[in-house]
Amino acid sequence: MLSCRALRKDYVTERGPVAAVAGVDLDVAAGRYAAIIGRSGSGKSSLMAMIGGLSRPSAGQVLVEGTDIWSLSDNALSAFRNRRIGYVFQFASLLPTLRLIDNVALPGMLGRTGATKPLYARAAALLGQMGLGDHLDAYPGEVSAGEQRRAVIARALINEPALILADEPTSDLDEQTEIEIMDELLAVNCERGTTLILVTHNLALAEQAEQIVHIAHGTIVA
Amino acid sequence: MRLLASLALQNLGRRKARSLLLIAAVAVASGVVFTGATLMRSIDRSMAVGFTRLGADMMVVPEGALTNITAALLTVEPTDLVLDQDLFARAAITSVNRAAPQKIARVEHSGIGSHHDSVDLIGFEPALDFTVQPWLVEKLNRDLRPGDVILGAGRTAPLGSELLIFGKAHTVYGRLGKTGVGTHERGVFMSFATLEALAGSVHGPNGPPAALQQGKVSGFLVELAPGATPLQARFAILSTVKGVRVVTGDSTMSGIRQGLAALLDGILALMVLMFASTALMVSVLFSAIVTERRGELGLLKAVGARRGQIVGMMVIEAMIATGAGGALGVVLGILVMRLYERSLVYYLETIGVPFVWLDGPHMVAVAMLAVVMASIIGALGSLYPAWRASRRDPYDLVRGEG
Repeated sequence: MLSCRALRKDYVTERGPVAAVAGVDLDVAAGRYAAIIGRSGSGKSSLMAMIGGLSRPSAGQVLVEGTDIWSLSDNALSAFRNRRIGYVFQFASLLPTLRLIDNVALPGMLGRTGATKPLYARAAALLGQMGLGDHLDAYPGEVSAGEQRRAVIARALINEPALILADEPTSDLDEQTEIEIMDELLAVNCERGTTLILVTHNLALAEQAEQIVHIAHGTIVA
Repeated sequence: MRLLASLALQNLGRRKARSLLLIAAVAVASGVVFTGATLMRSIDRSMAVGFTRLGADMMVVPEGALTNITAALLTVEPTDLVLDQDLFARAAITSVNRAAPQKIARVEHSGIGSHHDSVDLIGFEPALDFTVQPWLVEKLNRDLRPGDVILGAGRTAPLGSELLIFGKAHTVYGRLGKTGVGTHERGVFMSFATLEALAGSVHGPNGPPAALQQGKVSGFLVELAPGATPLQARFAILSTVKGVRVVTGDSTMSGIRQGLAALLDGILALMVLMFASTALMVSVLFSAIVTERRGELGLLKAVGARRGQIVGMMVIEAMIATGAGGALGVVLGILVMRLYERSLVYYLETIGVPFVWLDGPHMVAVAMLAVVMASIIGALGSLYPAWRASRRDPYDLVRGEG
């Protein structure tokens, strides 16, 4: 499903180049739940960004379902992200001017042309599954942080991706909401067979994963 | 496309005060440009009428001929001295834009007016004339024909009526406005062909006046080429043509004519600069908007928006705002021109200075151009910040970098 080879990310700083990720090899099988753990600044978010086609590596290769994503053109990579990868970020990542249902339908509308009715029906169904069936027309500012995060999970699923990348999705939520959100993500992984990669510094969340990748100073240590 | 336009509109609605300020700034700029362009074109048209009425810059007459240089209009006084009609055609002087030949014969017992009145018969070549016809205040609804005459403001006869000159029937084709110059006020104007046809009937003490001979004229009224000075033209004429006298009128008029043309060019340059500065302002504003919205743009890229869609959304947003500003500017411009029409233009018309407004279709075209230009400026101003943002990695944008 996912294969990274000699993946590297260097940042240029005033004190000289810094390797955020320094030559990582990683394989995650299809349908697995993998957790990338590490302390702040260990390079786990940079690694996830390269895996997800969000940040170009300084060197190395990322294969998702056999596709070398960083060899794709910019438009092809956009299309790949749109169809095959779903993202759950560590911040509230809904567009504030769109209703929840519009936010969920957005990736579907960006990627395709044609009738929007089936797309909106699917968005409504996904929001219903996330317990937000009564908030389809609400704007992000009108719902709680946990509900916003559920809407983000629904958006990540709208195009039925093969891979869900969640970068510390519960870091700003209370404990109860954190459990609920993690349950939703694990349900996606178990029931839909969608590969889930979770980036977290919370060891308790990582313990549920089938594969744990411990990263420190830009390299995998365990 | 619909999604992008919808997002762009919603983005504009999020920061209403900022959007309104942008629209207002563009409205002021495009209002100034619309009003300026319309007034410029109107002034240009008015100048075309007004300055042609001011007549020639200089006059070329036979050496020894009398001239009237005290009046605002240069006019040749009746004389027996003549020049060849094709003098300027042969000389081809570059500092001369146009040279209109005239024949003037002061005759008595012509049948016009009382028996002993002298009358100035003035011949002009309609195709070359630029000093007589601009003064026409009324005329028959057809072109000037042989046998037609135009009366100076001091003479009265109904249009289309018959006027006998030396027993020959002529038709009153038109009447000139008041020029304040005696020769024009009392004159009877006609084409060369009409005047030459009278040669056999005119009897003076020394036979028919010399100006009535075919191929001979009393003088030329000269308009300078753009940029040429009276001194340059005088030198060029005198060094090329012998036996003539060059009479320069009030050089203020040439100066005003050329100065106004330069002023209009200057106004045009200022309008271009104004639009350019508006484009820069839009660009700076959209750089700030892009910076403010990096997270959202990164998010859009992350969920699959292509570079073109990111650029398109920002450009559409700018074009909607600046286009609306352009339309508002046109409305403001129309209101300003209404005020202008009721004040300065009204005053000019009461003192007899013509002001020719740009006609309706042209004004609509200028208005549409102002709106389109405002939209283009929005597109140009937002293009670079949007393009720069679209090239960033989504992760950099989401993290607030770039």
